[in-house]
Amino acid sequence: MDGEQWYGAAYKGSKKYNQWQVPTANATGFGAAADDYMERGIDLNEQLIRNKPATFFFRMNSDAMTEAGIFSGDVLIVDRSIKAVNGKIIVAILNGELLVRRLQVHIKGVTLLAENKKYGNIPVDEFSNYAAWGVVIHSIRTI
Amino acid sequence: MKAIIDCNSFYCSCERLFRPALQNKPVVVLSNNDGCIISRSDEAKALGVEMAGPYFKAKPLIEKHGVAAFSSNYNLYGDLSWRVMETLRMLLPPHAVEVYSVDECFVDLSHIRRQDLAAFSLHLRETVEQWTGIKVSIGVAATKVLSKVANRLSKKNKESTNCVLVLDTPRKTEQALQRTPVEDVWGVGHQYSVKLHAMNINTAYDLSTRDVAWATKHLGGVTGARLVRELKGIESIQMMDELVNKKMIATTRMFGSPVRELKDIKEAIATYTSRAAEKLRRQHGAANTISVFVVPREQSHSTYFRHGPTVGSHIILPLATSCTHELIKPALALVERLYDATKVYKKAGVMLSGIVPDSSIQGSLFAEPAANKNRMLMSMIDNVNFAMRDDVLKFASSGTTRNWKMRQELRSPRYTTRWEELYEIS
Repeated sequence: MDGEQWYGAAYKGSKKYNQWQVPTANATGFGAAADDYMERGIDLNEQLIRNKPATFFFRMNSDAMTEAGIFSGDVLIVDRSIKAVNGKIIVAILNGELLVRRLQVHIKGVTLLAENKKYGNIPVDEFSNYAAWGVVIHSIRTI
Repeated sequence: MKAIIDCNSFYCSCERLFRPALQNKPVVVLSNNDGCIISRSDEAKALGVEMAGPYFKAKPLIEKHGVAAFSSNYNLYGDLSWRVMETLRMLLPPHAVEVYSVDECFVDLSHIRRQDLAAFSLHLRETVEQWTGIKVSIGVAATKVLSKVANRLSKKNKESTNCVLVLDTPRKTEQALQRTPVEDVWGVGHQYSVKLHAMNINTAYDLSTRDVAWATKHLGGVTGARLVRELKGIESIQMMDELVNKKMIATTRMFGSPVRELKDIKEAIATYTSRAAEKLRRQHGAANTISVFVVPREQSHSTYFRHGPTVGSHIILPLATSCTHELIKPALALVERLYDATKVYKKAGVMLSGIVPDSSIQGSLFAEPAANKNRMLMSMIDNVNFAMRDDVLKFASSGTTRNWKMRQELRSPRYTTRWEELYEIS
């Protein structure tokens, strides 16, 4: 019931389990030898999500980022609690639209870089309305 | 000190998160069936769009100014509400957050030193916005009622207060109370506000100067006394733990369009009963009373928003149960009793009460084996429905036509809860 109390404020993922969820061999004969080594299976939520309330999913619908390994149809995991710094692939708000691009921060300001030669880079000037929405931390692709 | 944290125009903010073009633009969100306006952005308020006003009345204004209107997307709002509350729970000690409604919570800040309250509140506000994209306002004061006063003023003066107002000195508290009309005090209803104005008590400050004995006499006994004590800065309404076990579970909906046929009403009632029973099982309860009510449309008026009087009835069951089929049967019997073929119905609802802990859960030695079997069947249905969603398993009496289903013509995708409806980004 009180599973939430197991971890302190430092843990921000999605772990919710208790000792009863560790499987046992349930063998009637000798199979129980492995019982001492039973552990929880791999949970993708734990591996891919660092901060659950701040994590959102998007579906990529363009080939602007193919050279960064993001293809059309991929699902992007976006964490809003991570700071958008130089070099990160981010979800950006540009003039009211959401875009995935690589963030380049330089002396003159910010440029949003596409990772596909067919696409132009977007310099953010004083006339554009720019903000970072979140940082892309994983891309999931069905092979 | 206590704080109330309140999301600004919550439903509109949720819609804006995935539609950044609507930032600084007027937005409204409509109730079930797109009937009334239930959330307005500041820009929509400035245009004069009325809260809780019927949509069709505001439609000319909305179209003239290009206000973005959305049907309510409770899947999205519920998820974002959880995110806001979870963020706060992560930033605060255990049990310091009391969720009060979908968009507001009380927070116990007694672990924060007085001189740090403003900075800490700002930190909470900024973190919630950064993580979830939802803007909140925070009122901090000695008591819950005073924190509400502070919150209201912080919202009224967003620019100057940065959406955070801390009433940490008697002087600040007094000024805030003087700037609060008595009808805007949390817990003062319309009737009492009329009565108070008649006694020349016009502001929250006027009320706070009355003594407790006076309040007991004139403001409904204990509740009034508690209110005045809270206004004086004496803590009288404690933080509550989450309400885990409700004493009553109700499921009520307006029909998408008025319903005449008994068959349709029965389907609706069976569906609402299933939903209520599901909620009942989630809190491991069993109910021994089921009530059903229907609301016919007023005959004499053709006005769209007039309700007739509610017609209702209830049955007390011999044994408390949480099984959907054991609840649907009496519910449908009640519908047949209430139904009048000459009327057109607008709304119906089901309420479960007399809730006790479900004894069949433990699988007690003395319980009939049938009870355990039913319990397992229900668990299975709940698991399948929870995993597959959209009620893939339901009782036949819930029907397949669903003529009465809610209208939601302007609903945005369920971006945060449905894999098939994720935002497509370029």
